[in-house]
Amino acid sequence: MAEPVIELADVSLCYRLAKQRLGSIKEYFIHLVKGALVYEQLWALENVDLRVGRGEVVGIIGPNGAGKSTLSKVISGVLKPTRGRCRVSGMVAPILELGTGFDFELTGVENVYLNALLLGRTRREIDAKVDGIVAFSGLGDFIHSPVRNYSTGMVARLGFSIATAWVPDILILDEVLAVGDARFLDRCLQRLHEVRESGATVILVTHNLHEVRNHCSRCLWINRGRLHADGEPGPILDAYSEYIHQTGGALVDRSEPQPQPPPVVA
Amino acid sequence: MKRIIRYRDLIHTLVARELKVRYRRSAIGFLWTMLQPLLTMLVLHMVFSTIFRFNVHNYPVYALSGILFWNFFHQGITASMNSLKGNAQILKKLPVPLEVFPIATVISGVINLLFALIPLFVILLVTGHRIDASLAFLPVAILLSALFTLGAGLLLSPLAVFFSDVVELVGVCLTLLFYMTPIFYPMSIVADHPLFWLVRYNPARSILEVFRDPIYLNKIPPIGHLAVALVVALVFLGVGSYAFRRMSDRIPFYV
Repeated sequence: MAEPVIELADVSLCYRLAKQRLGSIKEYFIHLVKGALVYEQLWALENVDLRVGRGEVVGIIGPNGAGKSTLSKVISGVLKPTRGRCRVSGMVAPILELGTGFDFELTGVENVYLNALLLGRTRREIDAKVDGIVAFSGLGDFIHSPVRNYSTGMVARLGFSIATAWVPDILILDEVLAVGDARFLDRCLQRLHEVRESGATVILVTHNLHEVRNHCSRCLWINRGRLHADGEPGPILDAYSEYIHQTGGALVDRSEPQPQPPPVVA
Repeated sequence: MKRIIRYRDLIHTLVARELKVRYRRSAIGFLWTMLQPLLTMLVLHMVFSTIFRFNVHNYPVYALSGILFWNFFHQGITASMNSLKGNAQILKKLPVPLEVFPIATVISGVINLLFALIPLFVILLVTGHRIDASLAFLPVAILLSALFTLGAGLLLSPLAVFFSDVVELVGVCLTLLFYMTPIFYPMSIVADHPLFWLVRYNPARSILEVFRDPIYLNKIPPIGHLAVALVVALVFLGVGSYAFRRMSDRIPFYV
């Protein structure tokens, strides 16, 4: 493998769903004294080992609630793992949700600045790129009106344009390509291609299996917080679609024992 | 630290946004920043120079300088505690260094303080208070106050995320601290009280005196006071940053 830019070693991440939500210090101490500080622990990720090399395009699939978004948050550095180590080298540009970091009262252009600043850019860097970002988004005159007047697709266009304006070392897209129209999707994929050509790593969380099949060099199947399969997209996607059809695509309920999907034979 | 410098333009933008919101929302928002301490001072003046009668030379200047410091400190802490919750959507989705939010809050507090100094100067002129070069020391005093406030804000803002009643608890403590600090009364009237040590060793008092000396006494604070204030500010900042860093990994889970 090329030099790894993302290295997860035995990463587990636990959300403590406090059963009694300990909203206050008073409650906290009462429970502490009673020795009854119990949390319902939800391990969103369990013992994930992962190494991703420079230039890979990795598709992450799995049913809702499997831990895909948690994994992309760990890689982007928003959430720190409860156990294990996560090492990521280089500048990360994550789009974890549509419209994150947008101030809906500000205009499109103002949001270009705000959003790029949140991604760690400096004002001078943005000055140099703002025209290109606006042009790529294709928003035309809308760019000067407040973002609250935008449709979801338009917000997606702008967000994508900002995040990819600088070739990041790692681009993370969590289900953000789903809402653009066909023409914008083409341009996104074109730009993804450019990003990949320049040696960046792309992480694509999606339910669109075609995207993974056509654009990814590698596929991760996450199931109930574990890395169920990792490898060539083709066989994994086939096994995954069959599994989804069998289980009816039900939401993962982790408290219920569930049949483990059959292993993928690559 | 390096990451925070990288995000300096973001801090700048957050400050601008905070001020814009504050001054756009109400038509007299800008005026209000200046009027509020002035009105508080007037009330105190009426109460304490007619009813209780402290023997304080030029009480309006004494009280107003105390009020300006206190408002800055109080608002800085309260706003820091809200800054993480208010930006929850950002810090759950983007890997920004979380310190930028309390830092931006305290910086916009400094700018508010600068606006609030305008009526103080008016009062200085109106009451014929002496104005001299020692006022040039004021920026240093403001910097010390800002570091002190930022330290407290860094310590308390993650706690406010983890426990919702921290905001109320801190509110009560601040009220207590307000009375323990010689803001509207002179130190001399509590000197014989058995609880005088509470006032004497109150860290906020050391900072307040450094802030008040150049305005009210027309002097640069004595080096001993200055050293104490500097140590207090740096200890608060050190403890605050350390605690913030220890807690920051858990903030996105609870906010």
